[in-house]
Amino acid sequence: MNDRGSRLQTPNAERAGEAGPRDVSAAEANARRRLNARLRQPYPAAMAVPPLLFVTGKGGVGKSTLTAALAQRLARQGRRVLAVEMAGDGSLAALFGQGALPTEPASLSTRLDGVRIETRALVESYFRRLLRLPFLSRRLFASGTFHAVTAAAPGVTEFVVLDHLAQWTATGWLGRRAAYDNVIVDGPASGHALRLLRAPRQLGALVPRGPLASTMNRLATLLDNHAHTGVLLVAIPEDLAVSETLETRAALDQLGVRLTRPVLNRVWPRRFSVADIEAVSALRARRDEPLLAAAALEIGARREAERHLGRLRRAFGSPPLPLPELCRGGVDAAAVAAMGRSLERAFGGHGA
Amino acid sequence: MARDPAALAALLQQRLVVCVGAGGVGKTTSAAALGVAAALVGRSTAVVTVDPSRRLKDALGLEDLSTTPRTVALGNGAARLDALALDTKRTFDRLITRMAPSSAVAQRILANRLYQEVSSELGGSTEYMAMETLHELLHEGRYELVIVDTPPSADVRDLLSAPLRMTELLASQAIDFLKAPASIITGSESRLMRMTLGTVLKALERWTGLTLLRELADFVAGFEHLVDGFRSRARDIEQALHAADASFVIVTTAEPRTIEATRTFDRELRAGGFPIAGIIANRVYEFPPLAATAGRQVPPRLREKLLANYADFAALSARDRAALAALQRDTSSALLATLPALEEPPTSIAGLRAIAAQLAGAEPESRSRPRGAQ
Repeated sequence: MNDRGSRLQTPNAERAGEAGPRDVSAAEANARRRLNARLRQPYPAAMAVPPLLFVTGKGGVGKSTLTAALAQRLARQGRRVLAVEMAGDGSLAALFGQGALPTEPASLSTRLDGVRIETRALVESYFRRLLRLPFLSRRLFASGTFHAVTAAAPGVTEFVVLDHLAQWTATGWLGRRAAYDNVIVDGPASGHALRLLRAPRQLGALVPRGPLASTMNRLATLLDNHAHTGVLLVAIPEDLAVSETLETRAALDQLGVRLTRPVLNRVWPRRFSVADIEAVSALRARRDEPLLAAAALEIGARREAERHLGRLRRAFGSPPLPLPELCRGGVDAAAVAAMGRSLERAFGGHGA
Repeated sequence: MARDPAALAALLQQRLVVCVGAGGVGKTTSAAALGVAAALVGRSTAVVTVDPSRRLKDALGLEDLSTTPRTVALGNGAARLDALALDTKRTFDRLITRMAPSSAVAQRILANRLYQEVSSELGGSTEYMAMETLHELLHEGRYELVIVDTPPSADVRDLLSAPLRMTELLASQAIDFLKAPASIITGSESRLMRMTLGTVLKALERWTGLTLLRELADFVAGFEHLVDGFRSRARDIEQALHAADASFVIVTTAEPRTIEATRTFDRELRAGGFPIAGIIANRVYEFPPLAATAGRQVPPRLREKLLANYADFAALSARDRAALAALQRDTSSALLATLPALEEPPTSIAGLRAIAAQLAGAEPESRSRPRGAQ
């Protein structure tokens, strides 16, 4: 997790650069700005959950459940938490017993707020602020063209969404506290999350200067900052889900975004010893029956999980965090709380 | 083990089968197994997969899957079965090349920086390309049956309206807007208004950086020539999807999340007038309550573990049974088949054949013959 550390080994030399000549190239200036921003932020204790955390993975791996579990856990520890639903399918809202989360943060429980990202409305309000003249924006939005173009144009919606998310973790003037200690974003599937995290760079490359470019830079710096932004990759023991996690990891590594320990969700508990497994296999060879077939299913599922844990361990160079399959007990409040406790270990934290 | 042999047999006689369903329900495997079943009853078949796993490639006996059809070795007696995978970017490039009025126009689009950035990410392009590939295959007429696995789109409307949306985007005033931004605000003849607008747009250009708007304009203007082609293809695809020889299959598991998605798929497909053949339920647990004597021959300590484990699976089975029964009550779609949970996903053509046999009726010789329900 600490590869970032090595780049910061000579802080004094880098700081000296701050007072350098003014006519440095834009790229250098950017690089320096980013570095400076990082230096101002203290490197976090290993266990800290970054203020802005994206929970991502293939559809159906349990991103919403994990988000809810982690959000509740952090709130219980006294942090002010905002859970953000991006998928728009209401799965996070459902976990809090609500039909839909509101588009402005609203309280879900003590110190825990929830909000839903409504992309289209966000894009509209962004351009409304930009254009300032109400009649212009009305015409613009009424045309339908506007939405077609912004939806298709690369990175525009992503940029607006990021800008929106950043407001909640931004610290104010004179060190005023951010609105939330932790913002946990649930549910952009891996591809979407990548687009989101890549947007400032991608758009930044297309837009060399101007106010948009500097916003872009600010966002890129925020996403690069390991003390501020992190990504929790979630998979389940299935080929495609794990492959997607590995691909996302490679892409995020290139971007320089901080990755927490990956989570392998829905891992079946080990029920049978090696001797048991041999015995079951011998018994089945003689006479199969439902009792043994059920055991074989359990053993097969566990074997699959081990294989995927191995794949993740090899790719990440450290062991992934297995979380238990909950369906047999049902996803109830106690199970979610237990999941929250286990999840701390993804951040090298207290629960370890 | 529910199965509707007549409906399944009829399904394999169709010309186009579209498998839809939430992500992670085994849609691709089901599509492949349906392909095997179809080839085994003598239909020459193409299976289009979206995101095939390594294992599925292995199961199909293919080194790799690409946009070029590869033939699956099924052995004697079977008709031809080809498999191909969707490649959004390459399909898009091919489409541009084919539809552009001249190769110069094609080159201009393909070389545009924006096109290169977005061709695989353009709104709904994966969905569009699934539909486009389907169109190509139906048009070629090389296959009696085309089975399409679909991208795990959260919204079936996104998928099926992709061709139309793409056309709308290209045909919309977007092009005019980008060529001359002032044209978007129509109905105002006042000079003052136009001047104000001019200023605002200048500001906007400064804000976005001039090059972006220009390049975007160039990109979209290039597409302008393609609109008619896109539109007629979109119509063709619409027709093919609604035809009497097309069927939709919704693939699901018995988990609450996918059951819910299936309800939505069913509702939306119906609303769109798409023909639904029925539902395939995957990875269903079917472990009925045990006789008290079960496992008597097993050493007591192991037997205890086995019984506890079985109790879990019996509970899961009861849950699955109830969920599927509720699904059938709520939707008017038939349950075509329920497939049992497997110890591991199919890794060979034999594994796919076993699933195909369960779908098409021949009893699998596998000893883990499904038991229990119905």
